[in-house]
Amino acid sequence: MRRVFALTAILTILGIANAHAEDTLSPLHFQSQGPLGTIDKAAAQRGYEVYKSVCAGCHSLGKVHYRDLEALGLTPAQAAGEALAAGGTLNSPIKGAAPLNMGGAIPPDLSSIAAQRPGGPNYIYNYLTGFGPAPAGVTLLPGHNYNAAFPGGQTAMPDVLHDGAVTYQDGVQPTKAQEAADVAEFLAWAADPNLDARHQIGFRAIIFFAFLTIIAVASKRKVWRTQA
Amino acid sequence: MTAQTNQSWAASRLPCLASLCACLNARTMAPGGSYFAAFPFLIAVLAAFLSLSGIVLAVFYNPWHAFASVQFINRDVNQGWLIRTYHATGTTLIFALAYLHLFRSILIRAYRAPAEFSWLMSVKLLLVLLLTGWLGFVLTGGAAGHLSLVNAANAALSLGGLPGAVGLWFLGGPAGQGTLARLEVFHALLGISLLLVVWAYFASRKAAAQVEPAKAVAFYPYYLAQYFAALAVLAFIFVLLGFYAPGVSGVAANHIPAGGLALPLGAGVPWYLAPAAGLLGVFPTAKLAVAAAIVAVVLLYALPWLDRSGPDGAKGKVYCFFTWVLALDVLGLGLAAAGVLPFSPVLAVLFTGWFFFHFLVLTPVVTAMEAK
Repeated sequence: MRRVFALTAILTILGIANAHAEDTLSPLHFQSQGPLGTIDKAAAQRGYEVYKSVCAGCHSLGKVHYRDLEALGLTPAQAAGEALAAGGTLNSPIKGAAPLNMGGAIPPDLSSIAAQRPGGPNYIYNYLTGFGPAPAGVTLLPGHNYNAAFPGGQTAMPDVLHDGAVTYQDGVQPTKAQEAADVAEFLAWAADPNLDARHQIGFRAIIFFAFLTIIAVASKRKVWRTQA
Repeated sequence: MTAQTNQSWAASRLPCLASLCACLNARTMAPGGSYFAAFPFLIAVLAAFLSLSGIVLAVFYNPWHAFASVQFINRDVNQGWLIRTYHATGTTLIFALAYLHLFRSILIRAYRAPAEFSWLMSVKLLLVLLLTGWLGFVLTGGAAGHLSLVNAANAALSLGGLPGAVGLWFLGGPAGQGTLARLEVFHALLGISLLLVVWAYFASRKAAAQVEPAKAVAFYPYYLAQYFAALAVLAFIFVLLGFYAPGVSGVAANHIPAGGLALPLGAGVPWYLAPAAGLLGVFPTAKLAVAAAIVAVVLLYALPWLDRSGPDGAKGKVYCFFTWVLALDVLGLGLAAAGVLPFSPVLAVLFTGWFFFHFLVLTPVVTAMEAK
């Protein structure tokens, strides 16, 4: 018993020591991905900061409401504050500035972008960090920028993220890669806000039906034995 | 008076309850039935389950703002996402069971006399499912579903004659604002009519069953216990898919709202429609595609008469082998329609050709040879 307690204590201490040191960038991974994934609320909150200060200049998030931010760990007062700052209420959809016309391309609504694009948050990260000078032999259309992750390689969106584009309240260094990863996790949540509940219910349901299957098969065998 | 006292309180007041009990207790079923024989029962359970979850969805669904209302169900209705996951996962499983049931029926020659009618009902089940599933896919209001609807409506407009008139009556003209409102009604009607088809299947299967009276067992408790075990396994697979792979019954492009002039990359159809889409897609004009669909359906219906082995013909190994090849062929048609395979357009033509070859040539020739 004492040994179990000691082991638990060591694991707990290791867990606490590990809590804020997790590096999701090398290699790049998202807590929301995978069969047992959950939304990384700290990353998603930082991602909301990035969305609010950078993305919202052009992109709306029209299917998500300010009240939904409470699911990311914001208090009702904080969510109401966010709504008030944008001139809305808790029940207002999160609208960005009026969509700019980027030379004929209209910035898409970001509510479901992680579900719409193959690769989800990985694609968003690769896209936001994929800007660069066009390789030799590529002639860009007027008003377009080269992006290695975008199908076709040319996008009307400019390279908007850079080191220090936002100030994080939790002390995480706002490097360009960190901002891209955080906003990708935030948009993964926006596209699938029920992910945590789905995985939790699913886990319980699987345990329940595994036992039910065993009982049902055993009862079937017992019933049929009397027939023989 | 004595007959009255033998019956339960409820059965004496509602006689059909007594006949239901008699039906469950009658020794009419052969012992030792396979778990696979429970597929039609599972299909019936899923059809009822889809009807119930569909009623909940229909309460919140708005065909005039289809995509927005589906988003509303997913994000704002209490547990709406759960009901929608149930409906989508149930769709995937009912199609999987219907395909497996048809495959098994061909493999064990469950279609032969006197069970022709239960085979006809099995084929009808798949056809009604395909139409209902396509309508459900279109009703989501996503870009992929809308593209499919526009293609179907354009094909109906170009057909002319009786098929064109039927198509136009069904779709109500070119794909427009009101189309989804009428398709919602057809989706619900066809979905509930599935239960009737399954009932007809059970009735015909029961009439065709040849059971030795001395060995026969009753449904209760023997097959009830077996079907319950099959249902528990199905429920296990259901939660595994529904909660951990909810994207399996849709396509990514359907998360993009329909409309606008942009055609999303990778717009396709869900897996359960893919074999049919692959078969229809190889024909250059709508007229040919409709003709091919009619021929394919007639061939499927005609299978009991294409099998030339006679009522006592033995189960041949070569026929079994070609049935497995047919299963791979249908799988390949689906993969080719999804564009997963290399040289997909060429392979789709080959697979379509093999499908017709199997029923028109292989089935009569091989069964006749093996019956000798």
